[in-house]
Amino acid sequence: MADENENEKMDNENQKPEKMFTLKKWNAVAMWSWDVECDTCAICRVQVMDACLRCQAESKKDSYGKQDCVVVWGECNHSFHYCCMSLWVKQNNRCPLCQQEWSIQRMGK
Amino acid sequence: MSTPARRRLMRDFKRLQEDPPTGVSGAPTDNNIMIWNAVIFGPHDTPFEDGTFKLTIEFTEEYPNKPPTVRFVSHMFHPNVYADGGICLDILQNRWSPTYDVSAILTSIQSLLSDPNPNSPANSMAAQLYKENRREYEKRVKACVEQSFID
Repeated sequence: MADENENEKMDNENQKPEKMFTLKKWNAVAMWSWDVECDTCAICRVQVMDACLRCQAESKKDSYGKQDCVVVWGECNHSFHYCCMSLWVKQNNRCPLCQQEWSIQRMGK
Repeated sequence: MSTPARRRLMRDFKRLQEDPPTGVSGAPTDNNIMIWNAVIFGPHDTPFEDGTFKLTIEFTEEYPNKPPTVRFVSHMFHPNVYADGGICLDILQNRWSPTYDVSAILTSIQSLLSDPNPNSPANSMAAQLYKENRREYEKRVKACVEQSFID
């Protein structure tokens, strides 16, 4: 690979001596984010993939030392901590973000 | 003691400091994060312009599942503000959502100053003047603005 580049570079240099720049190093940077509609729980304002404020306060931990606080997605695609949402739906069974009737699409991490 | 409500209020405070909305400010009282003092500046191009209106916000341990009690401490003349400073605003009652925070509450109240709803009056005199005698309404509001500098 390096040799090929070297040869190419020399060829190029022979053909175009006026060239001012050669590419010596190329760093690729990748960005990622959680593939969910809303990455922060709008109720407690903690990332949905982290434990909710209530669980953090009670420091509930399972055997792996990971906090057992799952995410819930509604039919509207909005996501919240299951703990946060279960308290809210007791008084109003609507999505706090879009006001649609709340029904669970899936749960998990 | 750190409860979920108190932790949420710390986040609200952090957000209010990091991304302060224009024309409002608020902070918890020195010894109790459940009680906040806030100031709303009267919006431009309204009769409330230049006023500095003080409020108190009281939270319960059920926050954010239940809205706080928000009250103007400064004397107000507004169709949706009661004589005791209580505010008639849907998002603080039946339209409350646990996604609101202090920043959202204060900006909603600020926009209520610009756009009163005279059809659900808390101050019937203010509502009537707003609908029927805008000049007198503005005069009464201006008096409030003057008063807000002294309060």
